Amino acid sequence: MNAYFIRRLFLMLPTLWGITLVTFFIVQILPGGPVEQALSALRFGGGEMAEGGASASAAKIEEEYVEALKKHYGFDKPLPVRYYNWLKDLLVLDFGESYYYEEPVIDVIVERFPVSIIFGIASLLITYLICVPLGIIKALRHQRFFDYASSLVIFAGYSIPGFALLILLIVLFCGGSYYDIFPMQGLTSENFSELSFFGKIADLFMHMLLPLTAYVIGMFAFTTMLMKNSLIEQITADYVRTAYAKGLSGKIVIVKHALRNALIPIATGFSEFVSFFFAGSILIEKISGLDGFGALGYESLLNRDYPVALGIIVITSVTVMVGNILSDFAYTVIDPRIDFK
Amino acid sequence: MAILNPILSKRWENFKKIRRGYYSLIILIVTYLVALGAELWVNNKPLVVYYQGTYYYPVFFFYSGETFGEDYIAEAQYKEIRDRPAFKDNPDNVMLFPFIPYGYNESDDNLNASPPTVPDSRHWLGTDDRGRDLLTRLIYGYRVSLSFALVVLVLSTIVGVAIGAVQGYCAGVLDLICQRVIEVVSALPFLYLLILLASIFDPSITLLVIIFCAFRWIGLSYFMRAEFLRGRKIEYVEAARSIGVSRVGIMARHILPNTITPIITLAPFSVAASIGLLSSLDFLGFGVPAPTASWGEILSQAHANLTSYHLSVFPLICLFITLLLVSFVGEAVREAFDPKAYFRYKG
Repeated sequence: MNAYFIRRLFLMLPTLWGITLVTFFIVQILPGGPVEQALSALRFGGGEMAEGGASASAAKIEEEYVEALKKHYGFDKPLPVRYYNWLKDLLVLDFGESYYYEEPVIDVIVERFPVSIIFGIASLLITYLICVPLGIIKALRHQRFFDYASSLVIFAGYSIPGFALLILLIVLFCGGSYYDIFPMQGLTSENFSELSFFGKIADLFMHMLLPLTAYVIGMFAFTTMLMKNSLIEQITADYVRTAYAKGLSGKIVIVKHALRNALIPIATGFSEFVSFFFAGSILIEKISGLDGFGALGYESLLNRDYPVALGIIVITSVTVMVGNILSDFAYTVIDPRIDFK
Repeated sequence: MAILNPILSKRWENFKKIRRGYYSLIILIVTYLVALGAELWVNNKPLVVYYQGTYYYPVFFFYSGETFGEDYIAEAQYKEIRDRPAFKDNPDNVMLFPFIPYGYNESDDNLNASPPTVPDSRHWLGTDDRGRDLLTRLIYGYRVSLSFALVVLVLSTIVGVAIGAVQGYCAGVLDLICQRVIEVVSALPFLYLLILLASIFDPSITLLVIIFCAFRWIGLSYFMRAEFLRGRKIEYVEAARSIGVSRVGIMARHILPNTITPIITLAPFSVAASIGLLSSLDFLGFGVPAPTASWGEILSQAHANLTSYHLSVFPLICLFITLLLVSFVGEAVREAFDPKAYFRYKG
């Protein structure tokens, strides 16, 4: 079994290589790169200077400037060479330097970790503290009042895009025209460093509650239904009928027999925690002004900050792939019958 | 339902019995058809004009301003003409406007406050930040969302079926190469690439459809590959091969009809995903080009005008109801195709 997972890890390499190849060339071929951006800034800013008789020398200056810019951004070399260099640095985890922030990409990315970690931990907690119990109750009360009533929430979760809900929550609770309970933007208040420990936690909570609600609502519905359906499937299985037949009480059958098996698909989702760390959500972070991973990726695309954009794509892809392998691995640990060979 | 084979018509009967999903489907179809004819009942052009003894039908035909005694040859500005003395003074002249007399890109110049205005008797759901009637834009937005989702569904289904079928039927090296390519594509961050491409090329719905389809065929192709891998070894397929039916013939005539389940059960979820994703893109400003009506664009206005509750509440309700109906249909379809025994816990 271990040999299988080691092979899976090695099979990641060609896929990863394919991803770097595709994204690098897409990003580099597209117009509007940093050289063109700097140039248009120059033309726009220095437009008056270039007017009149000095246009010939201005053109020459511009040409030299373009060459210098290209050299600065490494665009003077042909595309395959640039790719080779980038890949070589990538092997030692050097993602290059951000055009926009002018510091190493890895530092820029690490700075954005706190928001992503909060999102990750919160989604994990909500999954296990709310979705699992709720799913179990829904399964046991299948097609009864509680099931139908809670389904309303579930369907709302399925059908309301998180970002749209966040805007409504902000309109309602952030001083638009109704209540002014929560701050509208950011992760912390300005006086955060002066607050006591609990004050800090309360401040974070007030800032994060609305974006977190919007962030987890879709996942909340999905995980609850997964838990419910998984338990229903187990309860209808033959071994549960056998357990009833030999006279066990309903409680014991559910808790000791059905539930243990029903939890397998949920438990393996634990490995997705890895990718939640990096997932973030572009829209929610943008609306709430949180500086997380998603917002960074979005800005890097708009600023044409290619080293950051490429770094994020590579890191995200690796975590997704590792997450998949871990989740398969968790399956085999929890349920020894499963064999991927 | 005579065109369907017995299994499919049985499933259609099953589906009809699941009332929530069946009625949701009917509501969606009817409202979509009504929205397709939106020009007839939501428009700033009159349905009928009776002017100097002649009938005109501006919704269907183009009339220049000169037709109504104006001094321009561009399309007649009917609301201006209606208010001119030359038109009003003759009691025989009539202009019959549709039920909601606003165009989706028509700014109302006679608002009593600066836009966005809140709902009132003139604009039932208020106006957006350019004074355009919100209800009108929501109706046209519904049409855009659903049409977009359906086009993406059809195209990505064709691509997904074709690639999955070739992979499954040919197997071997071709399958292996395709699997690697699919792995790469599915690991790419879809939203990032969408934003990148949409921010570089001129916005157009065609481009959006192409980008969506480039990613959305993958989910279906997994299922089709599995079905065709299984199907190629079944006896009647072997029999067809032995009498010399061509590969394409076998795939299309003998295996494909038995792979309809994943195609149909995945369709509602694809539609819901497209609608949600398009509204996200519209919100970011990388979606359908202005001034196309879109729900995401209204939501981005809501974000810029936090005091105007109607800009966030109404599009949210529209998104919610539409996606809810679609997911009811999806749930019912899945149940009809994969009936589970009736279950009730007795503990």
